Amino acid sequence: MVTNWKKILTSGIILLIIFLVPIFVDLGTGIMNQLVTLFIYILLAQSWNLIGGYTGQINLGIAAFFGASVMVTHFVWVAGVPIVLSIIAGSLSTTLFAVIIGIPTLRLKGMYFAVGTLALTQALQVIMQNIFTRSISTRGDYVQAYDISSRYFVGLALVVVVLLAIYLIRHSRLGLALVSIRDDEQAAQVTGVNTFKYKVISLLISAFIAGLAGGLYAYFRLYFYFVSDIFGHGWTFSATMAVVVGGAGTLMGPVLGAVFLVILGYIFSLTMGQANMIVFGFLFIIVMLFMPQGLMGGVDLFRLWLYRISKRPIKEVQKATL
Amino acid sequence: MENVLQVLFVGVIVGSLYGLVALGFALIMGVMKFINIAQGSFIILGGFICYWIVTFWHIDPYLSLPLVMLAMFIVGLVLYRLLFSPLLKYPKAEMRLDKSLLITFGVVWILDNTEILLWTPNSRSVITSYGYETVKVFGAALSYTGLIGVGLAILAAAALHLILTRTYFGKHVRAATEDAGAASLSGVNVQRTYLISCGIAIALAGLAGTVIVTSYSVTPGGGLSWLLTAMAVVVLAGPGNMNFMIPAGIVLGVIQSASTLFINPAYQQPIALIIFLLIIMFRPQGLFSRG
Repeated sequence: MVTNWKKILTSGIILLIIFLVPIFVDLGTGIMNQLVTLFIYILLAQSWNLIGGYTGQINLGIAAFFGASVMVTHFVWVAGVPIVLSIIAGSLSTTLFAVIIGIPTLRLKGMYFAVGTLALTQALQVIMQNIFTRSISTRGDYVQAYDISSRYFVGLALVVVVLLAIYLIRHSRLGLALVSIRDDEQAAQVTGVNTFKYKVISLLISAFIAGLAGGLYAYFRLYFYFVSDIFGHGWTFSATMAVVVGGAGTLMGPVLGAVFLVILGYIFSLTMGQANMIVFGFLFIIVMLFMPQGLMGGVDLFRLWLYRISKRPIKEVQKATL
Repeated sequence: MENVLQVLFVGVIVGSLYGLVALGFALIMGVMKFINIAQGSFIILGGFICYWIVTFWHIDPYLSLPLVMLAMFIVGLVLYRLLFSPLLKYPKAEMRLDKSLLITFGVVWILDNTEILLWTPNSRSVITSYGYETVKVFGAALSYTGLIGVGLAILAAAALHLILTRTYFGKHVRAATEDAGAASLSGVNVQRTYLISCGIAIALAGLAGTVIVTSYSVTPGGGLSWLLTAMAVVVLAGPGNMNFMIPAGIVLGVIQSASTLFINPAYQQPIALIIFLLIIMFRPQGLFSRG
């Protein structure tokens, strides 16, 4: 455990230093935009990962939480509240929806949670479309004060905090309870885990993280042409895709998946236009069928192979899953 | 009075369609314990196939029904072979359910975007010469297409009921539903039973799509709202309660239709969600099941 800590700390610090480069070097708006998008995807993927990867409840309504937070953050911020407080306000508003949808559906097993969250997205999309029929924009002085690097650092800070929080959760009693629910809910219940309580807690934290992503998006994009896009199923799909491709139930898997998604999305959208979404769909299904562990599972296999080549005893192999 | 009667009729017409939509979904869920999130998108696909046949060959949309259903049946077989049968290797039913949820969510994504690519994001409908004609009953108007929709829905439900109760194939389906392992031991070809029931379920989606494209319209990406309606119907009827899908659909349709008397019709989707939540909170076994 101690060596593990040191490894994680050093690699984390190195990564952080790499990501702090924009303080000194101007990377250009294009790359900075991609990086902020990457942060949004990482946050969304971690949100999905906590409830889907660790707790084993399929959430098809990340877009609802994301969109609710975008709207709340946007209007609170435009009303004059500092951005950090408005992001927190937006994230808290998502936990309200999480309570509404989570308490009835998480009591029951099976499809109810997934369908309930999906229905929530659909309902919010319809309601918002009817309320906000025109595009939403910000006042001129906000647009004048726009500065991509502040978005970048807010995003970086959120990602670091969320990754740290997920790591701590995973290594606490709460994390153990969540994983036990995923592996065998009945057994967990018999051993005295209050499964319903822990599922709701997990959903609340997950919704809060999705809310942070929404807040970052509201800070990043100052105007929205179509309100329904914010609540679109594309957000849910991207989050799910990032987690599944990266490896569900691991700390770094969703991050890896999000990086993969942003890079591929950039390449595909340049070369294929509209068809790039279809390619992502096929990629998602292929990964689901043939690589259920995702890229992190691939990393595990690669390590195993390395050790096998170097003829060292197999028991030294550490799982990549943190 | 006429107003109320009209609302009731509209509710029954829409509701039987809801029941029809739910039928295919409930078949896959009941028999294979898979959740097919893409059922709504397959319905839209069926609608577009009908639209294509009518546009190219200029035949009556209801005559194109066998072709549409055959095409969708084949789609269903492919769907089972490619995506569902690999999931059978997972031993636990919950795991299969989760995986099928995720995979069919990917299918939704593919289908929606393919439909946008092929048919543009506009909504399409097939308009027949008798499309706007109505018959008056006690002063309330009933459209022919709506009546045909009700008839087809009841016919499909009855046919499915007869297949499930009166044929050997139906016996196999019920055996596989009850206990796939035991059925397999007593000589039922479970894989084949699953395959054909998946085909039938997607063919039912084709039927529903045809009814939708003739009396309403289909939009790429509109599949998920049909799916959620189907879910609400399945929850109302009680999962696995195939015989009550049409009545449950009519209950939902009448509730939604009655709600338009009081609030903006644009908010029908939230009403379906509210009904869904209320039912799973207070009567998770469904309205129509005992116990």
